Amino acid sequence: MSRTRVAVALLVLALAVGLVAVSTPAIGQAPKSGGVLNIMQREDLPQGFSIHETATISTVWPAMPCLSNLVIFDPLKQQESMDTIIGELAEKWSWQDNYRNLVFFLRKNVTWHDGQPFTSKDVKYTFDMVREAPDATAKLRINPRKDWYANVEAIEAPDPHTVVFRLKRPQPSLLMMLASGYSPVYAAHVPVANYRTGCVGTGPFKVKEWKRGESVEYVKNTDYFIKGRPYLDGLRYLVIAERGTRFAALQSGRLDVAFPGEGTKTIAEQVTKAEPRIKVTIANQNVNDNLLLNATRPPFNDVRVRRAISLAIDRRAAVQAVHQGGAVVGAAMAPRPYGTWGLLEKDLNSLPGYGKPAEEKARARKLLAEAGFGPQNPLRIEMATRAIAIYLDFASFVINELKQVGVEATLKQIETAQWHPLATRKEYEAAPNLTGIGPDDPDANFYENYACGSPRNYTGYCSEEVMKLIDAQSQELDAKKRLALVWQIQKKLEEDAARPMIDWRLDYFMRWDHVKNLVPHQSIYNYGRMQEVWLDK
Amino acid sequence: MLTLFGMSVVIFLLLRLAPGNIVDILFATGGYVSEADKQAIMKELGLDRPIWRQYVDWLGEIFTGNLGKSYRYDLPAWEVIRPLVPVTVELAILSTIIAVLLGVPTGVVSAVRQDTALDYALRVFSLAGLSMPSFWLGMVIILALVAWAGWIPPVTYVSPTTDFKIHAVQFLLPALAVGYRSSALITRITRSAMLEVLREDYIRTAWAKGQRGQAVIWGHALKNAMLPVITVIGIEFAFLIGGLVVTETVFNLPGVARFLVQAILWRDYPVVQNLVMFIAIVVVLSNLAVDLLYGWLDPRVRYGD
Amino acid sequence: MATDRVAADARLEVLTVAAPPVRRASALAVVARFCRKKPLGAVGGALMLLMVVTAILAEPLSTHDPIATDAAHTLAPPGPEHWLGSDHLGRDIYSRIIHGSRVSLVVGVLSTLLGSVLGGLIGLLSAYFGGKTDLISQRLLDILQGLPLLVLALVMSAALGPSLPNVIIAISIPIIPRAARVIRASVLAIREMQYIEAARALGVGHFRTAFRHILPNTIGPFIVLTTAQLGSAILVEAALSFLGLGVPEPYPSWGRMLSVSAAEYAAKAPHLVLFPGIAISLAVFGSNLLGDALRDTLDPRLRGA
Repeated sequence: MSRTRVAVALLVLALAVGLVAVSTPAIGQAPKSGGVLNIMQREDLPQGFSIHETATISTVWPAMPCLSNLVIFDPLKQQESMDTIIGELAEKWSWQDNYRNLVFFLRKNVTWHDGQPFTSKDVKYTFDMVREAPDATAKLRINPRKDWYANVEAIEAPDPHTVVFRLKRPQPSLLMMLASGYSPVYAAHVPVANYRTGCVGTGPFKVKEWKRGESVEYVKNTDYFIKGRPYLDGLRYLVIAERGTRFAALQSGRLDVAFPGEGTKTIAEQVTKAEPRIKVTIANQNVNDNLLLNATRPPFNDVRVRRAISLAIDRRAAVQAVHQGGAVVGAAMAPRPYGTWGLLEKDLNSLPGYGKPAEEKARARKLLAEAGFGPQNPLRIEMATRAIAIYLDFASFVINELKQVGVEATLKQIETAQWHPLATRKEYEAAPNLTGIGPDDPDANFYENYACGSPRNYTGYCSEEVMKLIDAQSQELDAKKRLALVWQIQKKLEEDAARPMIDWRLDYFMRWDHVKNLVPHQSIYNYGRMQEVWLDK
Repeated sequence: MLTLFGMSVVIFLLLRLAPGNIVDILFATGGYVSEADKQAIMKELGLDRPIWRQYVDWLGEIFTGNLGKSYRYDLPAWEVIRPLVPVTVELAILSTIIAVLLGVPTGVVSAVRQDTALDYALRVFSLAGLSMPSFWLGMVIILALVAWAGWIPPVTYVSPTTDFKIHAVQFLLPALAVGYRSSALITRITRSAMLEVLREDYIRTAWAKGQRGQAVIWGHALKNAMLPVITVIGIEFAFLIGGLVVTETVFNLPGVARFLVQAILWRDYPVVQNLVMFIAIVVVLSNLAVDLLYGWLDPRVRYGD
Repeated sequence: MATDRVAADARLEVLTVAAPPVRRASALAVVARFCRKKPLGAVGGALMLLMVVTAILAEPLSTHDPIATDAAHTLAPPGPEHWLGSDHLGRDIYSRIIHGSRVSLVVGVLSTLLGSVLGGLIGLLSAYFGGKTDLISQRLLDILQGLPLLVLALVMSAALGPSLPNVIIAISIPIIPRAARVIRASVLAIREMQYIEAARALGVGHFRTAFRHILPNTIGPFIVLTTAQLGSAILVEAALSFLGLGVPEPYPSWGRMLSVSAAEYAAKAPHLVLFPGIAISLAVFGSNLLGDALRDTLDPRLRGA
């Protein structure tokens, strides 16, 4: 008997050990080292690796592996928040003086790709340059995010491994902006122009070669400051300009990973149906479709006319028609559950453009009549749009919606080269637009897009009341009170039709299932570092 | 030479007529424009100088063999252009070979069997190639390949020294698509030239003397019909050097034409100017080659008369 | 599409059969004779006729508003509601193709005419006066011809901005040198003929001679030239629109229907890629067939124009 028992016990034990042995890689899966990842890139790098000089994912995505931030959103967590921020060049950080001073304690023994040591001077140099401090030692040629640092009074480097950001007033969100992919540290000893043709960083990968118009190749940085990272031997970003070819390349295995924000619902359905080994993760892009209405000139300096236009556009139909269901409705901040600050469903439904289409359109007609437009005197507007499919599709949809309330909208196609000068001079009536926001954070969004005088406030909408609210939420330290303020701002913006939000794009991010630890975040701009990614091949 | 000079003026002026310049595009990637900074960058790039000065400077650069700097890449323009040239030249040569192999026999058979069902079938086949937009054909090929085979040719350029087999596969598909299109022109001209030659007395004589039909057709007649065919081949080759914009885009080959479109959109004047001049020089050279071939094939043409 | 073609063929058969063998050549008889002698050309003519008819009758022929979006019926497959399916915005593809024929025809015909007339005039005057006029105009034409057609059109449309008239101008420019050469060659041939010498001897003025006596004799080559160029003009318009530099929205243009979105939805809705491509191919095919047949009929000596 006992022998049988022993035998059974042994068998069970053996089975258990076997199970553990088998299941360990299945559950925990120890990362494997080696291999080269082939990554989709939709166009050649505008301005090379100089992330600070662009506002496009076409630069951030392929340049991120070279560089490092002070802090960054945990690459393995899809949902970003203050709590998922981890140290990168900064080992630790601490808020002092009631969110007025932000102190970073930097890692020691970090070297740049050219062998020079990294110190606090590099940090001060970079962010003084970005905020255009009077004593900055370098100047960016193009500087789209200066406003993020408007509240920074001084940056101090008391010793080689400490940096202090001194603020004019409390601003907890500063850390969120510093954690974005848009906020890398440049080397003080490298001229800023050199980042347009090459890259000296402290990141997990070193640039091996940039073949113009063709590819960017990276090799592993063996001196990377995190031991055991990166797992991959190299990265290859392949520039494929034609969209059909891009996804054909992914589907046929020429690429392992898609480009952030490029995967629409329809494409994902097609690709995964044909190739089940390709996995899709649905993520917020933190990019919204919106309609710019020039608030500085008639007819859209009249809030009634703006609101009428906003009422006429059926948001849910836009999600269906323009995105085949691959988007969600929402106001100025990314909607729940994708974003942290989105309005509640009931608040959203009371905004213009969310009610029953027929009723909303009737209200739009009434408002237009009040403003003096009707069948005898129809409102005629010209929509300026760039010759890019996403803008054209969106514009075609809007024109058709406006037609139903008696607004005759015509399209004026303009070249990319002309758009921003026109927008800056406010020489347009209406325009379809895409707005991408680095981190899901009210400061990053509101100061850039709605603040009076901001260069990227294309509509010229300027409200003293809203400005006060924006400043108030920025320094509010109580999370609940801040959320209430942010909701209030969003409602006000939509009611004023400051920049009517049509929808928020979802990314159907695709990768082959042998690509591990590449987690798309709720913003396309923050997860391109690649140090945790490994290949299960 | 005079022609090339004229072309340089035309292309230079046309580019500057286009609204916006590189600085607008640079600011577009930043999402805003600052007038003051814009002026500074224009000055840095030399775009603030009068147009005639810019032109004279460029001419000077051409003569010193230094082609100026790419505005976009901040590199010597020649360094940017150089890797593109072999790709396009190889694609053009391959396509031309395929077009000749396909077009000449089709044209001959079509002429010999004039107004038969075979003639009609061949002409419809070849004209169909000329009628399909090349970008559409390329797109359909890629989409069909991935749908049915789950495979497409490599999307980055593989040099023949790295892996000749992959290189060959990568070029063969686009060359077939392009060659099919070009073959239509060659078929057409071969057919009409052959028809004319076949009516000539000496061919009838050869036939009457009992020489075998095939030998007469492929030997005497074809040789005499080759002159106009060579002209068309020359024109077509020159066209292929700059005309494969969409084919290069769809098959993602880093060639001259695809890059040229990007450079035009970016208003990267030095790259565009030099690329267009390169294309123009190829056109002039291939015309010259055709003339020389003419002289060699047809003893009646002698230069210097 | 296929049924349309069968119908067109049937109509042609009726024409061919009905035509009585008459001695005096009525217009109908000429057409009938053409159809019998050149069946392929007749098919081409029928295709062109079909295109003209759809362009003129676009409104009554289409089933939907070509620019109306419909969120509830996106990417619908071909069926009773949408004959050729609907696109990603729910727009009816059949109606868009019908309306698109307008853009293709207007751009194709007007740019060809503009280019041919301008080029023809240059050719006529240059050949008639000869000497320095000829030399200078030939050099100028060399410049235009040295630049690849699509590249020139690209730079032109970038310079002029995308709008219907500008696209027409951009496409017409590359046609000028071709037209000028053809007309010049035929004028040179005619000039040597005796009746022109006679006219000159009788004291008829330059312009009178050129326009009354020489011009009418170049009509043949001119017609051949324009039909041959029409096809390529339609293709260039499609390629420009495909690249986003063509006729702007909301005009439905076949080339634009094929741009970005079409490839994106190809696996789920192949009709997005197939039908506009077929429409372009058929239109160009038709004009090529007609052009070939007209060339054979009107001017058997003209080659490679």
